[in-house]
Amino acid sequence: MSRNEHRSISRRGLLKAMSAGAGMVALAACAPAPAVTTESESAAAPAAEPLTVLLWSSYSGKNGEAEQALVDKFNEEMAGMDLQVDYQVQGNYEETAQKVTAALQAQDAPDVALLSDVWWFKFYLNQTLVPLNDLIESQNVEVDDYHAPLIEEGYRQGVYWWIPFARSTPLFYYNREMFDAAGLPDRGPATWEEFGEWAPDLVSRNGDELEVAAFVHPDSASYIAWLFQGVAWQYGGAYSDPDFTMRMTEEETVAAGRFYHDTVHAYGWARPSKSIGEDFLNGFSAAMMASTGSMGGLRANAEFEFGTAFLPEHDFFGCCTGGAGLGILNTTDADILPYAMDYIAYVSNPENTVFWSKSTGYMPVRKSAATSDEMTSYYEEFPQFKTAVDQLELTRPQDSARVWVPNGDQIIGKGLERVTVLGEDAAAVFADVNETLVNEAAPVLETLTVVES
Amino acid sequence: MTGPAFRQARAKVSSAERKERLLFALLVGPNLFLFSIFTYWPLVYNGYLSMVRWDFLGPKVWVGFGNFRHLFTQDEFALVLWNTAVFTVSTVGLICGFGLLIALLLNRSLLWRDGVRAVVFSPVMLSGAAMGIVWLFILDPRYGLLDVLLGYVGLDSPNWLLDTRWAMAGVIIVHVWKNLGYAVVIILAGLQAIPKELYEAALVDGAGAFGRFHAVTLPGLSPIFFFLFVTTMLASFQSFDIIHVMTEGGPVNATTTLIYNLYDEAFKATRAGRAAVSAVVLFLGMFAITLIQMRFSERHVHYA
Repeated sequence: MSRNEHRSISRRGLLKAMSAGAGMVALAACAPAPAVTTESESAAAPAAEPLTVLLWSSYSGKNGEAEQALVDKFNEEMAGMDLQVDYQVQGNYEETAQKVTAALQAQDAPDVALLSDVWWFKFYLNQTLVPLNDLIESQNVEVDDYHAPLIEEGYRQGVYWWIPFARSTPLFYYNREMFDAAGLPDRGPATWEEFGEWAPDLVSRNGDELEVAAFVHPDSASYIAWLFQGVAWQYGGAYSDPDFTMRMTEEETVAAGRFYHDTVHAYGWARPSKSIGEDFLNGFSAAMMASTGSMGGLRANAEFEFGTAFLPEHDFFGCCTGGAGLGILNTTDADILPYAMDYIAYVSNPENTVFWSKSTGYMPVRKSAATSDEMTSYYEEFPQFKTAVDQLELTRPQDSARVWVPNGDQIIGKGLERVTVLGEDAAAVFADVNETLVNEAAPVLETLTVVES
Repeated sequence: MTGPAFRQARAKVSSAERKERLLFALLVGPNLFLFSIFTYWPLVYNGYLSMVRWDFLGPKVWVGFGNFRHLFTQDEFALVLWNTAVFTVSTVGLICGFGLLIALLLNRSLLWRDGVRAVVFSPVMLSGAAMGIVWLFILDPRYGLLDVLLGYVGLDSPNWLLDTRWAMAGVIIVHVWKNLGYAVVIILAGLQAIPKELYEAALVDGAGAFGRFHAVTLPGLSPIFFFLFVTTMLASFQSFDIIHVMTEGGPVNATTTLIYNLYDEAFKATRAGRAAVSAVVLFLGMFAITLIQMRFSERHVHYA
């Protein structure tokens, strides 16, 4: 028995060794083969079929339906020209960016991709985006009609790379019924100090446990680093300067972090939440800061009246932009490029901007859309949305540490989780975060110098 | 034998050998081909990736062991290794332990036995992601089913997925629940394969219930347990879907295991090099454990 076992193991061992060696040879021999097949297939495809602009995007639910409606409308209008947009949803912003990355590797990327605020720069840095100036000119895109803080985010070295589409800002949402029941005015707090005074009237406790919170903090995956950015600015701090000088350890930024800490661990009126939207909708939180892009969903699902307000101030007002825009990948065929630009211009033209904003709550990216008659009457019907549009004028682009450092959003977000969830001191946590950001920014700076020199 | 006769005999042997070799190549070739592409090549390429800095788009920059040095000096990576150990040991222990208890129970003649077996096994067939979402509702500390059940016995639900002390327990519970049925079925098959005569002989020798379990059942199940340990451990090491849906590795990395860290580094942070280091550590860990289990099995596993 034992001899047999021994022999069978050694035979197996021999087989393994042989297969490993032979595997390498076989692999070396066959590696290029699939590429050849793909190339010949893709070369044959465009000649036989009508022109197709492949669009990868990220929306589901109400927002997805609205985007599908825009694509359908475009396709209907273009039917005579034998041009179609092929709309494919790839998952959330992160998943879409991951798939675009993989697709670029496989030389099989979409023509137009929805890229979020934290992702487009990676594609710019790797020179995989098409510079849009010539296309903007040839397709007569009124670039001056886009809101300046939004269009300028995708503008570098005198070139447009990323056109605003589903752009948002953080907004203060409050449950009007709960505010009313607590005897509070029907408006958002002017300052965080004022909200601190109101908060005890909004919470309810079950023993020591906070049953209904006045405010909820999301986790890193739900973009706490995006929402906290404005708070850091309100305190006079920042994550970083545009030249990648990190500012996490500055007194003002740390003070903002300590405020977040205290809302949970000292004042006890806020709590970290797995889903701030659900907590708000279910009456477990009286208020929250969330994206304007959540407004469509809230309006459809809330069983109570909710109000919106500018973000509360501290020493200053502070509110950042966010959301996603559209870019064209440089793997796009030259004959498709003008049509890809046409689609981008079409979905962000004044008329469609109004439709998109009304359906989703994303900001009207065009100035003429924001002041159009249809929009004006919509403000009367749904004043909560007007607040968001008014606030847009006061927003500013985000700090480089969050949007340009790879994974910067999550590095800061996980630090903020340590503050809100674990109750660690913001000074110590932000020092760690600062160090990580400096290290992670170094290769970006190197590449950026090369790309932009 | 001399001259031509010898040469002829040699030619015969080698032609037979050649045929055998051809047959061997034909039988092994297709598998080898697929293994080479989908197993060996990624393994080799991953080793290379662990030595470079690469964001999946730009050029690869050779950094040698820089990625290893970086990760092994980070507290976060130590936490990841610890989480992996806690998750793996707990899930394997609980799956095998509860699996044995339930299998022993279902091996007796019970009312509705077949129905119960089906119920116990059914979670295995469901998708981990879907289960994760269902359990998100169950574990919710304010409106979850578990909170209601705990309320009946006067207990408050912990904040399962947002409290760093409970989040790991939360994902372990769901992983065990999902995979328990698999262990039960395997152990049940093992129990039914133990010859009845052995129990009868033990009974004649005066062995009590515990004695029979210790002297007959456990040794009889040893090959089954060996198999179960290997497969459940490998599955635990690679458990991704439930963690992704329920906690995304949080809060504050409390449920980030090696495989989740690999995903985080590769697809969220787009750092192929550091992700590859996680993969190397995962591979070496699994390889070492499998070797240890094989050595152990030579001594302690009894094949009937």
